[in-house]
Amino acid sequence: MEYLIHLGILVGIYGILGLSLNLLVGFTGLLSVTHAAFYGLGAYGAALLMVEAGWSFWLAWPAALLLAMLASVLIGLVLSRFRADYYVLASFGFNVIVFSLFLNLQSVTRGPLGISGIPRPVASNLSFLLLTLAFGFLTYLFCRWLTRSSFGRVLKAIRDDEGAIQVFGYRAAHYKLLIFVTAAGLAALAGALYASYITFIDPSTFNLSESIFILAIIILGGLANLRGSLAGAVCLVLLPEILRFVGFPSEVAAQMRQLVYGLLLVVLMLHRPQGLVGEYKL
Amino acid sequence: MDIVPQLVANSVIAGALYALLALGFNFLYRTVKFFDLSYGAIAATGGYTVFALSKLAGLSIWLAAPAGVLAGALLAWLINLTIYRPLRARRASNLVLLVAALGVMTILQAALAIIFSSQFQTLSASLSTVVEIAGGVYTVTQLVILAAALLTFVALHLLKRTRLGKSIEAVADDVEVARITGLKVERITSAVVLTAGAIAGLAGILVGFDTGLEPTMGLALLLKAVIAAIVGGLGTAFGALFGGFLLGAVENFGIWQFSGEWKDAIAFMLLIVFLVFRPQGLVRR
Repeated sequence: MEYLIHLGILVGIYGILGLSLNLLVGFTGLLSVTHAAFYGLGAYGAALLMVEAGWSFWLAWPAALLLAMLASVLIGLVLSRFRADYYVLASFGFNVIVFSLFLNLQSVTRGPLGISGIPRPVASNLSFLLLTLAFGFLTYLFCRWLTRSSFGRVLKAIRDDEGAIQVFGYRAAHYKLLIFVTAAGLAALAGALYASYITFIDPSTFNLSESIFILAIIILGGLANLRGSLAGAVCLVLLPEILRFVGFPSEVAAQMRQLVYGLLLVVLMLHRPQGLVGEYKL
Repeated sequence: MDIVPQLVANSVIAGALYALLALGFNFLYRTVKFFDLSYGAIAATGGYTVFALSKLAGLSIWLAAPAGVLAGALLAWLINLTIYRPLRARRASNLVLLVAALGVMTILQAALAIIFSSQFQTLSASLSTVVEIAGGVYTVTQLVILAAALLTFVALHLLKRTRLGKSIEAVADDVEVARITGLKVERITSAVVLTAGAIAGLAGILVGFDTGLEPTMGLALLLKAVIAAIVGGLGTAFGALFGGFLLGAVENFGIWQFSGEWKDAIAFMLLIVFLVFRPQGLVRR
């Protein structure tokens, strides 16, 4: 039972990550590979505020969210100058830079040792599951509202034909920055939940392969489909657990996971680039 | 002791490796027209092939090294045949190719870690004899890297004069026109992929001799190759060479000012500065 609760919490956290990344990749057509950076900023921000400054979780997560959003304004402004391939590459670069900050700003982040003893807002795992699911549900409602609003329609228009929507007087760059910052904030929320749930974080959780993993979730589920992202999170969180039951040693199992994600991306690109229930093809 | 000559030496060594990788990456990019993010992992596979053959199977290094180069070439060829070529045939967008390449990179990295474990491995110390040139200390391996980069540059330059080289130029300039004039586009692409894969394999082996191998090394190698190629100016071999040495210098003088851990961040700052202010790179085509 405890094990199922654990998986449920992970599904909730990755669900939030998937939903927020889908706002960028699926709805706006911005293939960002730097989501783990904001996930990490949220986790580190919340963890440090709780451990070092003694803030409560309820104050720490909004602050962490703001921190990530601030960082995303800077990163988003630089990224807004690029398109397609170069956008991917530059976002790739920001993930490496932020990861290297986590790893090397030892006076703040304690480097590879990580931060331990992060408090939880609720003691039992079951209550934490309910908390995560509540946040996940609110995120889903928010994303649904956002993508169905006129704002969301502009995003899709940017994705489909940026030039055309500019002719109608919409400033695509503003919209792209706004959605980038929104997605970063939601990723930071997931990070705060993760830090508080595991009670320990270190830089290795927030590297490039985590960004690729989140990308795999939304591509599997389907781009521009919010329920698809949730389904993707369920599938990809549960998948490695099956590998665990097959009985690989833990180090090999971790690599098998990566292998399967990579394979999944390749197979999807070859045979079903829109994912399971996607409404947009890359 | 004055530190500058050694810094120059380190810049030249690092730069030679980056230049070698960037030459291969750039050569590939000219024809396939997308950032093949699996390029670094192919280099890693070349290095590990030599590790398996020489350390585990006990083969002489003079046999193992060519096998490693060949492994890089064949792997790149196989990936192109099974993944990128069908995608191109379907006229998939570059983003699809990029995501597929991310997948390939993840697969290769995980496969290497499963087969060889995530432990750091070194190839051999027999080439670590030290030579002093102009106040800086170089190992023989590092001089081999420098020679490899320069020879690759010359070889790619000479290739342009051959019939194959001219066909490659034609395909890189305009695939459709090349096809209309009767060039076998896919065969020429395969030749490019094989060559680029061989260069990657060679670079991976040299890294194995110089610093050592780990499954995740491909990512770092890829990033350095891309950064050097873009900084130098995508599409020109001279740019790749120049960008490689510039990146090596910026990194090493950056480390001197800050510290070693910031190497990757410094490299990326250089990339982002270039992408923002001079996206066409230093050398124009």
